[in-house]
Parts: sequence; structure tokens; C-alpha cells
Amino acid sequence: MKRTALFVILAAGILALPLTAAKLQVVTTYPYIAKLTEHIGGAQVNVHALAGGQWDPHTIMAKPSFIAKLRRADLLIINGAQLEIGWLPPLLSQANNPKVNVGSQGMLDLSRAVKLIDVPDSVSRAHGDIHPDGNPHYYLNPDNMLPLAEAIAAKLERMDPAASQTFVENLAQFKLKWQAKLAEWEKRLAPLSGAWVIEYHKNYDYLLRRYGLQLLGTVELLPGIPPTSKHIQELENKIAGAKVRCILQDVYNPDEASRHLASKHDIPMIKLPHDVGAVREAEGLFSMFDEIVRRLSHE
Amino acid sequence: MSDILFSAFLLSVVLLGINSYFGLEIIRRGIIFTDLAIGQTAALGAAVSLFFFDGRLMYPISLLFALLAGLLISLVARRSNNLEAFIGLMYAFGFAAVYIILSKSYHGMEEFQKLMAADILFTPMKDITHTALLYAALGAFIWFVQRRTTGTLRDILFFVTFAVTVTSAVRLAGVLVLFSLLVGPALIATVIGRGIPLVNAWVIGTLVNVGAIALSYRFDFPTGYTIVFCNALLALLAVMLRRGGNSSPHH
Repeated sequence: MKRTALFVILAAGILALPLTAAKLQVVTTYPYIAKLTEHIGGAQVNVHALAGGQWDPHTIMAKPSFIAKLRRADLLIINGAQLEIGWLPPLLSQANNPKVNVGSQGMLDLSRAVKLIDVPDSVSRAHGDIHPDGNPHYYLNPDNMLPLAEAIAAKLERMDPAASQTFVENLAQFKLKWQAKLAEWEKRLAPLSGAWVIEYHKNYDYLLRRYGLQLLGTVELLPGIPPTSKHIQELENKIAGAKVRCILQDVYNPDEASRHLASKHDIPMIKLPHDVGAVREAEGLFSMFDEIVRRLSHE
Repeated sequence: MSDILFSAFLLSVVLLGINSYFGLEIIRRGIIFTDLAIGQTAALGAAVSLFFFDGRLMYPISLLFALLAGLLISLVARRSNNLEAFIGLMYAFGFAAVYIILSKSYHGMEEFQKLMAADILFTPMKDITHTALLYAALGAFIWFVQRRTTGTLRDILFFVTFAVTVTSAVRLAGVLVLFSLLVGPALIATVIGRGIPLVNAWVIGTLVNVGAIALSYRFDFPTGYTIVFCNALLALLAVMLRRGGNSSPHH
């Protein structure tokens, strides 16, 4: 009896070995990409995100485990559009994993799957001082999750053809659920169309454009540069001439200037998640956008 | 993983070698924050290169700024009693000037952080070898030339070699890691007060860094900050727990 049990356990272990080993190891830079990849890859992939959802996505502090994860990876999926430029390149060169290097089969840049806004023209690019690829926060337009999901599914199918049926099915299922949600969010945000808002950093431009909200200005002077008194004065002059619905603040930038403007002009300041995990309620992709819509529409 | 941790360890050894000498010297002279002032002035040079020259000539401009800061400090050291205040304000000046310059540059701060926010975990072996060679040359210069000079010349040479060291070390390991490696082991060696302080600082610093790198790996802490944490904590404990009140080199 005992011997049989041992044999069964051993056999199960031997059978399970190639199955676990065959799982595709996927590393993503940000949590939202990890969640999306889990929706598509399901049980066929192991997914790890490097950055935490509460952190400033522009400057991620690296830890030893990042390199370990990158070394084990078969596939690295990044946001792209230079959002990772400040922290990923040295990690990649130290991890020295040819499978996931730039330009190789195991590296997927999601920004290629969508149309970016605020792309500078070639004239100003010659001055070398403007973000060359455009605004990198494209994933906060929920419409964009569909082409992103398709890009991830296509890549997974190519890297693990044996499981491609699963990926196709998961993609179809995700798209169905997401489209239902898109319709719901569209309905709930419709009343906000045309409203003026202010944001701290140009995090939410894609979201605002999608639902017809108008951006009056940013609290920070330039991306990464805190506001000056003259800039705040100009912003206040604009506020006086418009009916501003809310000030959008992310969770990682200092919010003193936004709070000051909010209390002085009696405008609500709303903290919006910029990634999965940025606020407690946004623990998944669906719940993140649910929470964004809830906070935006309820004030 | 071991190769990454080994290169971090190697870098800490390279940095410790020459910086323990400077650390003991700045503690003796009571000008602890010289390294921060020079490091920040080098950063100002980087910002100037970024804004006015599109990031070209960054290293030479940083070095020029650092040398200028070193020379100024050495000149003021000869004439004024307010040296520590001068050094502190130089740091504040450099910090503020960087912000002012980069406030006029679109995406300036991101560019700048990319250049300055070094982490000891990511230094390529090539940079470590280059720095080791540079420091070996500087060490030989200090031993064979600088040690035989006196007076103003000795001071100027001290601050010039220090400026060169700081400029390359900041690029490799960041301001904070450099500061902790510079002052931490040297302060513990000063507190011990027996044997050869320089050798004590080397041995202690190496042991602390090995421990810190192991801790950072075991608990997945950011490696640079773990090194700062361990060196600073042990130096603080050493000062608080030392027997007797007098730690001066006079026995």
C-alpha cells in the first residue's frame, strides 16, 4: 500500500515536471501589464511584475530580485514610449539575458500597438529636449486594453504554439468582458463630457481625451519639475475664467500644490490610480478602471 | 546572481581603497561635507552640459566643476575660520542651481535622474576596471608626490585629487553610497584608535560591505541603500559605544 502510494507520488512528480518547466516565464515592467498577461496567458504562463503599483513609474528603485527575475524570463513585456528609460536599461544590461534583450523575440514593447499622443514634430525633436515618442501613459484609455491584449496574445501564441488555442480563447473571453465594461464606463462618464479638469502630471491625458474631458493645465510646471509661483498664478487665472470640475492627482507625486488650489478655489481634488495596486480598490484591471470611473463621476 | 553581487563587492572594494584615505583625512580636518559639496558641484556640471551642450562633454565639464569646487575649498581653508559653513553652502548652492537650470529644460529632471541616480548594483565590469586603474594611479600620486609636499601646495593637491576621486565615484555609486563608504569605515577606525587606521578602515569597510550585500540579497533590499544603512549604523554605534571619552589619535 505504502509502496503504491510512493510510486503514484513519484509518477505524478515526474509527469508534472515537464509541465511546470514548460510554463512560459513572463516578466512585465508594470503591474497592469502583468494583470493583462494573466488574463490572456491563464495557467500557461508564470507572470511577475517588477515595479509596484504605488511607485512613480518613471523612477523605479531596483532590487536584486529584479535581475534574478529578468534572468529567468522567456518574455519581457514593457510599456515602452520611454516610460522605463530611467531604470530598465542598466537592469537589462546587468541581467544579460539574450532572450529578452531589445529587438529579440522575447521582448514586447506594447507602445507599438497603440497610437501615441503629444508626439513632437521632427523640428523640435532636433532640439533634443522633448520626449521623442510622445506621452507614455496610453494604457489609461481603457479602449487601448484591446489592442494591447491582442499584441500580448499574438506574442504568446508565437512563443508557445502548443498552447495557442488557450490564448485565443482567453483573448476572446477577455475582449467580450472588456467590451461590456467599456459600454458601462462610457455610459457612466458621458455626463462629464466637456468638463474642464486640471491634473498634476500628464498621466491621464488619454483617459480625458477618450471621454471628452478638457485639460485646463497641469499643476507641475513641466514633467518632473515642481510648480513655480508664476506657474501657479497663471493656473489660478485660468481657473477663474473656467468652471473646473476637479483636480486629478496621482498617488506618488507631492499633492500640496493640488490641495492648495483645491481648497482655495473650492474644487475637489481626486486621487486617481495610475496603475494596478496604486490604491487599495484597484487590485485588478477591471477594478482599476471601475475605481477610476467611480472616483471621477462621484467626485 | 553571484556575478552581480561580486561586481558590487568589487566596486565597494575599489571605492573603499582610496576613499578610506580621504575619509580619515577629512575627519581629521573636520571638513566632512566636502565630498557632498564637490559631488553636488560635479552634478551641477552635468546639468550645465545637459542644458547648454545637449549632454555632450558631460564628464569633462563635471570634472572641471568639481576641480573648481576643490580649489575654492582649499583656498578658503587657508584664509577663513568658517570653512564648514562655506562647504555646506556650496552644497546648497549646487543643489539649487541644478534645479533652476533643469526647470527650464523639458523632461530635464528625468534626464538628470537617469544620469545621476547610479546604483551600485548596475556598474558594468568595464567601469569598475577603469576606476580601479584611475584610483591606483591617484593612490601612487598621493603616496609618492603629495605626501612629500607641504603647506598650500599640499592642500591644493589634496583637494584636487579628492575632486577627481569624488567625480568618478559619484557616477559609479551615487552621492549617498560614496558618502557612507568615505566616512563610515574611517570613523570606526578613528574611534578604535589603535593599529594603522587606514588598514582598519579597509578591513572593517570590506566586512561591512560583504554583510550589507548579503543582507540586500537575502531580504531583497535595494543594494546601494543597504550599504549606506549598514555603514552608517555601525559607525553611529561605534561612536556611541566607545569606551572612554577621547578618540583622538593622540594616545
